[in-house]
Amino acid sequence: MSFLEFDNLSAFYGKAQALRDISFSVEQGEIVAIIGANGAGKSTLLDSIMGLTKTTGDIRLEGKSLAGLSTADIVKSGVGYAPERFNLFPFMSVRDNLMVGAFTARDDIEQNLEAIHRLFPRLEERENQETSTQSGGERQMVSLGRALMTSPRVLLVDEPTIGLAPKLCDEIAEVLARMNRELKMTIVITEQNANFAMKLASRLYVLESGEMRISGTVDELRDDPRLMEAYFGH
Amino acid sequence: MLQIIIQGLLLSGLYALIAVGFTLIFSIGRVLNLAYGAYLMIGGYSYFYFSQILGLPKIAGVVIAALIGVVTGLLIYRLVVKTLKGDSVAIEIATLILAVVLQAGVVLLFGDASKILLPIIPGVVRVEGAAVTYNVLVATVASWVILISLYLFVRRTHMGRAMQAVSMDVKGAAISGIDPDRVNMVTWGISGALGAIAGVFFASYTQLYPGMWVSPLIIAVAVVIVGGIGSIIGTLIVAHVIGYMEVIVTSAIAPELRGVVTMLLIIGVLVLRPKGLFGREEL
Repeated sequence: MSFLEFDNLSAFYGKAQALRDISFSVEQGEIVAIIGANGAGKSTLLDSIMGLTKTTGDIRLEGKSLAGLSTADIVKSGVGYAPERFNLFPFMSVRDNLMVGAFTARDDIEQNLEAIHRLFPRLEERENQETSTQSGGERQMVSLGRALMTSPRVLLVDEPTIGLAPKLCDEIAEVLARMNRELKMTIVITEQNANFAMKLASRLYVLESGEMRISGTVDELRDDPRLMEAYFGH
Repeated sequence: MLQIIIQGLLLSGLYALIAVGFTLIFSIGRVLNLAYGAYLMIGGYSYFYFSQILGLPKIAGVVIAALIGVVTGLLIYRLVVKTLKGDSVAIEIATLILAVVLQAGVVLLFGDASKILLPIIPGVVRVEGAAVTYNVLVATVASWVILISLYLFVRRTHMGRAMQAVSMDVKGAAISGIDPDRVNMVTWGISGALGAIAGVFFASYTQLYPGMWVSPLIIAVAVVIVGGIGSIIGTLIVAHVIGYMEVIVTSAIAPELRGVVTMLLIIGVLVLRPKGLFGREEL
C-alpha cells in the first residue's frame, strides 16, 4: 500500500471530462512532481484530491478513501493545499491568514507557527501586513504557511513558481526541500517548468490532455527524448 | 445644536444595530436578505408576547426574542437561500415575499392595530437641556455593547475568522478546513438574533405594528448600498451618516421626511457611485 494512491481517477466539469483514468501513487516522505503544459489538467488533479471537482474513481491516503468527503474533511484527514492563485484572504493580516489555516488543528498552533517562521522569517516580520498589499512571492509564502497550519501529512502545491522571478523560484525550491527534509513532509507539486521539477522531485509524472502519459524517476527521465521534446523544446 | 448631536448619536447607534445583521449576510453571501426587516418584527412581537402578555422578566423576553430570531434565520437559510444556490435575484424576491407572508402571520396572531411596548427602563434624563428617555439610552448603550462584542467575536475567535474567510474567498476557506455551509448557518443564526434584538429596541423606540419591518429594512439596505461593504466598522460609520442626516433633515425641515431622505440617498448613491463609498469586501 502506498501513502497516497490514485485509482482510475476521472474528473468532470459539467459534461466535459478534464481527467481520464489516472492511476498513480506517492510514497511517504518523497517529493513527486506532476508536469504538464497549460490546460493539461494539473490544477484539476489537485482540486480533485481536495474534493473540489466532480470525480469518479478513488483516492486513498494511507489506505483510507477520500472519495465523497467534503473539502473540510479532506483537510482534516491530513491533506494540505497551496493552490495556484493562492486564494488568500486579501483584507486580513498575514497572521490572521495563517490563523484561518488553524481552524481544524487548534492544538498545533504554536508548534506550526514556529515551524513556519523558521521557514519564512519574512512572514514573522510582516505578520501585521494585509496580504492584498504583498508581492507574489510573499503571497506564495503565506499560502504555503496557511497550508502548513492545517497540520498536513501530505502537501499539495500547485505551480509554486508561476510568475515568480528566477531568484524567488530558487528560494521556494529551497523551502520546499527543507519542508521535506526537516518536517518529513510528503509533497506533490505541479509544474510547467520541468527543470525546476527535476531539481526538486525524486519522481515525475507527465500529464497531457488529462491523461498520465509518462512516469518515472528523475534519473530515468532526465534523458528521455519524449520529455526533452515536450518540455525543453530541443 | 446639542439636541441634534445627542439625538443623532442615539438614533445612529440604533441604526447600526439594525443594519449590522443585514450587512453580515451581505458580506458573507453577496446577497440582500430582504426578509431581514421581518426579524425585527418577529423580535418585537416575541418580546411583547413573552414579557408584556405573559409577564416574564424583560431580560427573559429579550433572550427568547433573540432565540426565535436565530430559529427564523436558520429556517430561511435552510429552506430558501440554500435551495436557491446563490441565485441572488431569486433569493431577494423570495425573501421579500417571505417578509410579506410573515407580516400576514403577525396580523393573524396579534391583529392589525399597533401596540405600545412599555419602555424597557422607564424615566427621562436631561442632558444639557435635551430630554433623553432612559429607554433610548439603554437601546443605544446595548447597541454599542452588542456591536463591540460582535467585532471582537469576528476578529478574535476561530469561528469569527472563518466568517471573514468565507466572505473573502470561499475556496480559500474550504482548503483551510472550514465548512462554508456551517459558517453560513452560524452567520444566518447570528443575523437572526441581531435582527430580533434590534426589533425589541426599535419597537420600543417607535411602536409595534405589522408593517414595522419596512423602515428598518430600508435603513439596512441604505447602509449596505451607501457603504458598499459588509464590515462592522463600515456599518457603524454609515449608520451615523444616515442617522445624523435624518435628525438634521427632520428637525430643520419636516419630520415627515424621515424615511424619504434615506431612500433618496439610496437612489443617489446607486446612480452616482454604484460600488458604494468604501467598496471593500471584509467583515
